[in-house]
Amino acid sequence: MIRYAKPKNVDEALALLSDGPWRILAGGTDFYPALGNRPLSENVLDINGLSELRGIAEVGSHIVVGARTTWTDIIRRDLPAAFDGLKLAAREVGSVQIQNRASIAGNLCNASPAADGVPPLLTLGAEVELRSASLTRHLPLEDFILGNRRTALQPGEMVTAIRIPKSATAGTSAFVKLGARRYLVISIAMAAARIVVEDGIVAEAAVAVGSCSLVAKRLTGLEAALRGLPIGPALAETVAATSLPELAPIDDVRGTAEYRREAAREIVTRAVLAASGHHPLTKVAA
Amino acid sequence: MKHSVVSLTINGAERQMLVAPGSTLIDVLRESQGLTGTRRGCEQGACGTCTVLVDGKTAMSCMLPVETIEGAHVETIEGLTPPQGLHPIQEAFLQGFATQCGFCTSGMIMVAAALLAKNPNPSREDVVRAISGNICRCTGYEAIIDAILDAAVRIRSAAHAEAA
Amino acid sequence: MSSEIAFPSPQHRRHGSSAGQPLTRRDGVLKVTGRATYAADNHPEGMLYAVTAVSSIARGRVTALDVEAAKAHPGVVEVLTPANRPPLSHDPDDKIPPFGFRVEVLQDDTVRYVNQPIALVIAETLEAATEGAALLNPQYEVESARTGLENGERFDTPAVGVGAPSRTAYGDIDAGLAAAVRVTEADYVTPPQYHNAMEPHAVVAQWDGDRVTLDMPNQALALSCAAYAAYFGIPAGNVLIRSPFLGGGFGSKAILNGPQILAILAARMLDRPVKLALTRAQMYGPVGHRGQTWQKLRLGTDGEGRLTALHHHVLAATSSFDEFMEPAANASLPLYASPAILAEHDGLRLDTGTPGPMRAPGEASGSAVLEVAMDEAAIACGMDPLEFRLANYAETEPGTGKPFSSKSLRECYAEGAKRFGWSGRPLEPRRMRDENGFLVGWGMGTAVFHCPHFPAEARATLRADGTALVETAGADMGQGAWTALAQIAAEALGLDPDQVELHSGISSLPDGGIAGGSGHTASAGLALHNAGVDAIARLAELATADPASPLFGAGNIGVEARSGRLHRRDDEGRSESYSEILARAGQAEVVGTAKAARDPAVAEAHALFSHGAVFAEVKVDPDLGQVRVTRLVGAFAAGRIINPRLVRSQYFGGMIWGISFALQEEAVTDRRTGRIMNADLAEYHVPVNADVPSLDAILIPEDDPYVNPLGVKGVGEIGITGTVGAIANAVWHATGVRVRHFPIRLEDLLVNQRDVTSAFGN
Repeated sequence: MIRYAKPKNVDEALALLSDGPWRILAGGTDFYPALGNRPLSENVLDINGLSELRGIAEVGSHIVVGARTTWTDIIRRDLPAAFDGLKLAAREVGSVQIQNRASIAGNLCNASPAADGVPPLLTLGAEVELRSASLTRHLPLEDFILGNRRTALQPGEMVTAIRIPKSATAGTSAFVKLGARRYLVISIAMAAARIVVEDGIVAEAAVAVGSCSLVAKRLTGLEAALRGLPIGPALAETVAATSLPELAPIDDVRGTAEYRREAAREIVTRAVLAASGHHPLTKVAA
Repeated sequence: MKHSVVSLTINGAERQMLVAPGSTLIDVLRESQGLTGTRRGCEQGACGTCTVLVDGKTAMSCMLPVETIEGAHVETIEGLTPPQGLHPIQEAFLQGFATQCGFCTSGMIMVAAALLAKNPNPSREDVVRAISGNICRCTGYEAIIDAILDAAVRIRSAAHAEAA
Repeated sequence: MSSEIAFPSPQHRRHGSSAGQPLTRRDGVLKVTGRATYAADNHPEGMLYAVTAVSSIARGRVTALDVEAAKAHPGVVEVLTPANRPPLSHDPDDKIPPFGFRVEVLQDDTVRYVNQPIALVIAETLEAATEGAALLNPQYEVESARTGLENGERFDTPAVGVGAPSRTAYGDIDAGLAAAVRVTEADYVTPPQYHNAMEPHAVVAQWDGDRVTLDMPNQALALSCAAYAAYFGIPAGNVLIRSPFLGGGFGSKAILNGPQILAILAARMLDRPVKLALTRAQMYGPVGHRGQTWQKLRLGTDGEGRLTALHHHVLAATSSFDEFMEPAANASLPLYASPAILAEHDGLRLDTGTPGPMRAPGEASGSAVLEVAMDEAAIACGMDPLEFRLANYAETEPGTGKPFSSKSLRECYAEGAKRFGWSGRPLEPRRMRDENGFLVGWGMGTAVFHCPHFPAEARATLRADGTALVETAGADMGQGAWTALAQIAAEALGLDPDQVELHSGISSLPDGGIAGGSGHTASAGLALHNAGVDAIARLAELATADPASPLFGAGNIGVEARSGRLHRRDDEGRSESYSEILARAGQAEVVGTAKAARDPAVAEAHALFSHGAVFAEVKVDPDLGQVRVTRLVGAFAAGRIINPRLVRSQYFGGMIWGISFALQEEAVTDRRTGRIMNADLAEYHVPVNADVPSLDAILIPEDDPYVNPLGVKGVGEIGITGTVGAIANAVWHATGVRVRHFPIRLEDLLVNQRDVTSAFGN
């Protein structure tokens, strides 16, 4: 007999979670497609009653995005330019209907290599707030998503928020998605970049790529290479010349590994240039 | 399986229903409420034919567990249709040949309703983005976009006439 | 008596009639309010739900099903398996002509493709049936799946498509090739594609003794009734199919399929109404698809760029147990003048569901490749692609020498090229870029589609109030048949379309033929036209024989039906309304009936085709290979146009299908398992609105005095032909890369990363 529960507050939810295995249900937009034609077989913990988990607020040194915050919430919220990449990604998640329902934490917990939200959150140094009845812990996003459909979520835990350190909200950001259709498409590859420019020089660079490895990755070597460069053609030249060992793409229905490797470098270039305010081609052709 | 009681306001009327765990909104609308104007297309949120409004926002009813929206206001194509005549969006679709097989039409019109409620004067780009989650396999997109723009004009001029 | 009454020709009656005018769609109000009822919207009292359990392997046997577990689930009423499936009156492995297919209805435990039904679970609720199906937990004996060229089984086939010859030869192909200055030869591949109508296949079946009522989307009502009657051992008249609306068909709802037959069988077995609706994933298997093809083209040309030989060979995939194959090579038969043409097909058996007709079956895949090959040959000859096609323009049908009943292809080329601005096109590729640095290319293709005509019947009733009821069992799957057919009937009846009520979409009405092959408007339309003419003739008999009528004695002179009145032909002033005639005759109505079919002599004497020309502009991102179609101009000549807005919608739809054929649609099979890896709408890409460019469809006027008395050809499928090749050719022109498979993928076009110096001229 499967159970369904809809707690009214987080403590109640955590108490239930400590009590046995549950499938946490927020927007449901990954839940049903994953179910396919099979009937429900897991206990369902519906967190849609947890109003405290929805919304974006400044808390101390962090900007805290509640786990249930939808992509539409993010698109509509006035946020610093460092969030532009996240907003662009938000507009590419599924469709408007899905953006209205799907939550930011669901995108992370689903741990798809093609999750559009992950690369921009990586460039924002996001960390995941995990709570259980007995413990609250914060994990860097890199350490939260472990593999295809695998996370560091422990039994009894749930994601309650995504926290972005204010120190990582300087500069401007961009996001470039590559798909085989103009919309309503799962990414072949996507790139996010956040660049802080001081006196015409890259003071800080954060670049991440998704769909080109089991888990979306920050390109730390490239970031180091970009730091200190003047805004201009040197950026593209550096992207072209730097090895990107983080990328380990595979062949699938959407594209070949070889194509992904080549295209990823191109969209990284575009994301970096767009984030540095320097390139007209942020929107790709198709 | 334990059924639960869910209350929804559907097209303005309060409804209480007994639902099986995991029942989707489209199950409830089509099977227990007899509101078959909402169509089942792909059951994975990839086509938009099942779009309804939940608290004024578009949602894919095929993957919306009904328990998760307890207390919500749901509007379907049946609720949009006035008792007499047609809603301006429907009139615009009719006059603009924006229906072909008609299967995607309810979803398209509900998307248009949400868009125009929020943005009475949308650009073509706004319309394109709004319906980008809705597939028309007859591929009558041009006529649909034109109809939604025409509906915006119809609604604005009706509002003007009322104001005057 | 009626034979003496002279009626004006259709051309005359066009004046003051509604045909040719864009009317609001008749079905529009029901569709915009959601009140149009599709099959799955029906819910008779006491209805049960059926769900098919489907195989997850492509080839082998089902060795075990946990029927006990499924039956033990609350709400499950019955589980149909090969062990208990009641007998059918017709062997499902024996095809029913003319469009019959072998169907999988649990006749044994063999598995022939992924998603084949292996059991049917019937329950009180959809959830229970779904859960019951999941509990069956099938066990298999798996055989290795044949999934491609390397392991498929080749065979010779006498026929392709629906009874088309698999080999047609005109002239001596070897001599033609030997005489050529140049031979352009290449191999091409087209993918499996799935119809993916928005409405999944569904049926609600209800028996009453030996009569059955079927609510189902159906493109061929009378043929389907006959076939169901055969399976269930009842007279065809005992099968009632109601198909008032179809949420798209594209060919997939013209053919009977196993799941629907099983649901009907379950309804009889349990003596309760049963509903079955396939899920999207289940549509990838038992309900047809466009089969994969491997094609080879050899084009011989002389020094002036004229064809000396056209050889089109197609290896067409089909299932392991049936024979439908894309008649793709036959697309090369009617189009270009060549002293030698050879069109031939071989079959390749794969472990897949049987392919079936999908919008422009054969023509779509064949024309896609032919038009690319023509482009390659034009380049080899150093000629502009349009100039090359004009140099090979067929004045009569190639091979047979028959005159075309009408052919306005020259006008299509000229108007299309003018509207598109083709004349400025550089011959060499990679010469155009836009302001963003995207590569720009222009390509073109010729569109052609045959004009079938299906036998059809209709009834027209003129009523005492001066209005009419016209009836034929046709199908409107989105093309606008209700509107166009009513216009044709109204014209024949001399009434405004608003005064004509059309009943259609139910099999109890006179046979409306098949909504397929782009032949519905001509076929059902001619029947309605003739029925209308018959009704008017009967009305005229009443009037001209009645001394009290102003038309008395006009029998030899004739009358004309216009605006609800009969007018004496030689004296406009002498007329009488339909109501007056009927009232005085004391009749509530007068009924006209008609059967219509093609005059065999017409087809014997003429080649019957619609034509068109499509011009495409694409922009290619040279660093990512993304292609965007930015402009499409199609000019089409398809005889007389009944409703220009509906026709334009059909052309647009076909052209957009051409875009997705060229750039998007492909079912990707896992070579090891035979499973389709994108059996859904998320990863099987059909165009979203943002993929659709600015479209232009030009309606070239064309009078065809032969094709049928209405002069109507077909418009539903021609748009896809020509377009696919035009886009592929534009991609070559933009990039210099010749892609010879469809869809063209992003990775084919990473132009900046590759050396394409050898691109020009191959």
